[in-house]
Amino acid sequence: MAAWHRLHPLSPLIRTGRHLVALGILVLLLIFANHSGNNDDFISDSVVVGIVLIAGVISWLVTRWQVADGVLRIETGLIRRQSLRFPLSQVQAIDVVQTGLARVFGLAELRLRMAGADSSGGRLACLPLADAERLREQLLAMGHAAGQRGAARGAQADAMVPSGAVGPAGAVGAVGPDGAPGPASAAAPPRPERVLFRVQSERLAGAIILSRPGAYAGTAIAVVILVIVLTGKPGIIVPFLVFGFGIVTSVWRQFNTEFGTVVAEAPDGLRLRSGLIQTAAETIRPGRVQAVRLVEPLLWRLFGWCRLEVDVAGPRQRRENRSEGQRLRALIPVGSRADADRMLGELLTNPPRPTHPAPAGARVKTLLSYHFLAWADDDRYVVASRGRICRKTTWVPLEKVQSIRWVQGPWQRRLGLATIRLDVAGRRVTASVQDRSVAEADQLLGQLPDLARAARARDVVS
Amino acid sequence: MTAEPGDAEIRWQRPSRLLLRARRIQTALVTVPVALAGGIIAGTAGSAGLGLGIGLGLVVVGLLCERFFARRVAAWGYAERRDDLMVKRGVMVRRQSVIPYGRMQFIDVTAGPVERSLGLATVRMHTAAAASDARIPGLDKADAAKLRDQLASLGESQAAGL
Repeated sequence: MAAWHRLHPLSPLIRTGRHLVALGILVLLLIFANHSGNNDDFISDSVVVGIVLIAGVISWLVTRWQVADGVLRIETGLIRRQSLRFPLSQVQAIDVVQTGLARVFGLAELRLRMAGADSSGGRLACLPLADAERLREQLLAMGHAAGQRGAARGAQADAMVPSGAVGPAGAVGAVGPDGAPGPASAAAPPRPERVLFRVQSERLAGAIILSRPGAYAGTAIAVVILVIVLTGKPGIIVPFLVFGFGIVTSVWRQFNTEFGTVVAEAPDGLRLRSGLIQTAAETIRPGRVQAVRLVEPLLWRLFGWCRLEVDVAGPRQRRENRSEGQRLRALIPVGSRADADRMLGELLTNPPRPTHPAPAGARVKTLLSYHFLAWADDDRYVVASRGRICRKTTWVPLEKVQSIRWVQGPWQRRLGLATIRLDVAGRRVTASVQDRSVAEADQLLGQLPDLARAARARDVVS
Repeated sequence: MTAEPGDAEIRWQRPSRLLLRARRIQTALVTVPVALAGGIIAGTAGSAGLGLGIGLGLVVVGLLCERFFARRVAAWGYAERRDDLMVKRGVMVRRQSVIPYGRMQFIDVTAGPVERSLGLATVRMHTAAAASDARIPGLDKADAAKLRDQLASLGESQAAGL
C-alpha cells in the first residue's frame, strides 16, 4: 500500500490567498476608519481573519492523497468527509497552475482534468513546483500505461473494451508502488522537448487590440475621452467606470493567460505553457484532442494572422475562464498561417481542406456567410468552415464523433437544403456542414456513421 | 410531400398513441385556467362581452396549440439499427440524429405526472457531447424499460473510449 502524502503546509495561505488579500484590505480600511473608535471592531475583525485561517489549516490537516494501483485518491473534509478516486487511465490532461502568490513561495497546483462535463476533477493545491512537475509526469506515464494495457487486453479479447474499463484491479500494480513521489522514488530526468510554437508578444498585443474585446475597449476609451472633451466635466463618466473596468479586465485577462504561450512536443503529449502573472502548464495527451478549430477574424486576415484552438474533453476548471465558456484552449493565440499549418500537421495527419463550396441555392439564405461555407472529408476527418466576417474552420476526427444530426429549418426546406452537424465531447463544439442540398445531406447521414465506426475500430486496433 | 432523409428501408417506430392524449391533457391543463383567468379579469375590468371574447380567444389559441402538438407527435420516430440509434423529430425544424450505441454514456427514463397517469415514460440518451440530444417521449412504460435495458447492453458491448 502506497503511503499517504500531505499537501505543502503553506497551501491554506495560497488557497485563500485572494480572499486574504481582500480581507486584509478590508481590515486595514476598517482600522483607519475607526481610528478614534473603540477596540471592539478591531477584535471582531481579527476574529474573522482568525476563523478563515483556522478553517484553512483544518482543511489542510484533513486532506491527504495517495497514488496506488493506477488510481489517485484524495481524502478531504472534516465534517463532510470526501474520498475522491481518479483512475489515471481516464485522465484527459493534467495542468500545473501557479497563481501569483504561489509563485512567490515556489508552489504550484496540480489539476486533473477528467472527461465529465461538469464534475470538478481533482485538485492538489499546493505542492512544491518541482514535486508537482515530477508527479504530473509520473501520473501521465501511469495513466498511459494503464490505457495501453486496457487496449491490448481488449484487442486480445476481440472486443472493444474502453480504456476506462480497466478497473482498479487493472494490472498497473507494477507501476503503482514506485509511482508514489517522494525523495525515495527515482525521478525520471526531464526528457527533451521540441518547441513547436512560441507566441510573439508584440503580435499578441496587436492581435488583442484588433480582436473584438480590444475593439470594445478602444471604443469605450474613445467615447470617454470624447465625453470629457465635449462636456468638460470628467465627473460625468464615474457611473460608467464599472463597465470600463469590466472591459479592461477581460482584455487584460486574455493577455495575461495567453502571454508567452509555448507549445512543445514531449513524449507524453503536447506541452502548453503560458501566462504572465499566473502561469499554467498543461499537457495534452495524444489522441485526446476532440476537435481543432482555426479562427480568422476579418482584421487579422489583413495581416495573415489566425488563431488555432483545440478542444479537449472535460471542463475548463479555471474559474476565470468560465465567463468565456465558448472559447477553447488556444494552442496558437495568434500566429501566421504557416504556424497554424505546421501545428495542424502535428495534431492531425494530412488534414483535408474545406474544398466543396455550398450549393448555389444556398446563396439566398446565407447572403453574408455564403463565401465561407465549405466542407470536405476523408476517411479520418471531417472539416467544415463557416462564418460571416470571421472564418471558423473546424476539424473533427471521425473516431471522436459522438453523434450526427441532420437538421432542416423551414427556410432550408423551401430551398431544398439541410445541415449536418457532428458533435464531439466537450463544450458545444460542433462541426456544422451547413446548407448542403438535401440529397447530399442524406447521403452524408447515410455514410458518416459507417465511416465513424470504421475510424473507431481502427483507433482501437492501432 | 417532404423528403425523408436517410435510406428508405429504415423501420421507424413511433411513440405510443397515448402520447397524443398526454399532450392534449397537458394543453388543456394550461389552456383552461389561463382562459378562465383571462376571461374573468377582462370581464370584471371591462364589459362581460370583452371577457367572453378574450376567454374564447384563448381557448382557440389552445386548440391551435393542440393541432401543433399533434403534428409534432406524429413526426416523432426512432429506429434501432445494427450499430446506432436514429431519432427523428420536429415539424418546423426537422431533426434527425444518429447516436452510435458505443457512444452512450448513460440513459435515463423519466415520467411526469401526466405521463405517469397514462403509463408512459420518456427515454433519454446522453453522450459525452452536450449538444447531442436523443429523446424518445411517450413510450409505454414496459417498452421504455425494455428499450433502456437493450440500449444499455448494446452500449456496453460496443463501448468506445473518448
